[in-house]
Formats: sequence, C-alpha cells, structure tokens
Amino acid sequence: MAKAELKTKQKTVIEDKSSLKGTLASVFFVGAFIIVTWVGVYYLFLERF
Amino acid sequence: MHMHKLEKIWLIFGISALVVFLTVIGVSAFYLGNKPPSCLTTIDPEKVDQQKPFDKPGLNKVEGKAWDYELVFVASAFSYNPGKVEVPLGAKVKVIATTKDVIHGFNVAGTNINMMLEPGYVSEYTTTFDKAGEYLIVCNEYCGAGHHLMSSMIEVVK
Repeated sequence: MAKAELKTKQKTVIEDKSSLKGTLASVFFVGAFIIVTWVGVYYLFLERF
Repeated sequence: MHMHKLEKIWLIFGISALVVFLTVIGVSAFYLGNKPPSCLTTIDPEKVDQQKPFDKPGLNKVEGKAWDYELVFVASAFSYNPGKVEVPLGAKVKVIATTKDVIHGFNVAGTNINMMLEPGYVSEYTTTFDKAGEYLIVCNEYCGAGHHLMSSMIEVVK
C-alpha cells in the first residue's frame, strides 16, 4: 500500500529569502534627496531679506 | 501585525522627517509670525490715491511702531509709483502695496519680498534691508500688453 504523503515526518522549511536591504537603501536615498532640497530652500528663505 | 525590521526603520525615518518639517513651519508661522502678505485689509481701488498711506507713495519714516519706515507702492497698468526709491541700509521697513486696476505682481528680485497685488486689497511685508545694492522690482502676474515693461527699483544705500 502506498504511503500517504501527509504522514511523512519530513518538515517543509519555508525560508524567507526576500531581502529588503535594497529597498531600505532606495528609501534613504530618496529621503536624503528630499531633506537636502528642503533644507536648501529653507536656508535660502532665511538668508534673503 | 508582522512588520519587517527594515520596514520599521524607514517608517520611523519618514514620519520623523515629516514631524520635523511641520514643526519648523509651525514655529515659523505661530512663533516668528510669518504669514502670507495679503493681510485682508481692504481698500476702495478707485480711491487709492486719496487714502492713507497711498496718498504719499515712497519711503516714509514712522514713529512708535515695530518698524522704522513704511515703503508705500501703488501699482497700475503698467508702472509702479514710485519708479525708484532709496532705502538706508539696515532699516526695518514695512512694504505696503496695492493696485488701482488689475492684479499685479510685486517681486523684489533676489529677496523674499514677493506679493500679489489684488484690486481692493492691501499687501504688506515687513523686513530688514540688511544688504546694500540695487534691487529690481518686477511684475510677475500677467497684467496686460505692457506687463514686461512694468518695473521699479529699490536702492539700499549706506
């Protein structure tokens, strides 16, 4: 009689291989750009009369 | 809710950046008192020349106010009155302007003085002229065929 597969003791390991490091780097890249431009414009506003 | 560690990092980063930006704007508006130049003071646009302070365009010394001078400009198609004015260096000046006909712009090039002049409304901007030089005033709201000819000059002198 064939073994029912459900009864195997072998564990199925699901590994989370999705890395978010690239996404984090992209987010910080865009964030840094926004902060630099915002600070630049605000500095211009304070510097001029 | 499961959240990735890196996801938490960028959410905190984004939210704190937003909080910092809004705080700076809030302090600027409510503590330093920065506001849009049109303070909702109204005027009859047909009787601008007879009403104070527009009966005396130009630089007027004032006493007992938070500013030393009032710089009054009347705009009309296609010129400003006065056409040229001298301001002493370091003077705290309230620029007061309005228009007699259509919407004009009032942009002192290279400075923060940039207002829209609407018929019936008075626009104001208080500032300290702390850099000497010649400053060109241009109209930056299209007002008609002579729009590009409309200009005036502020000279900040020692």
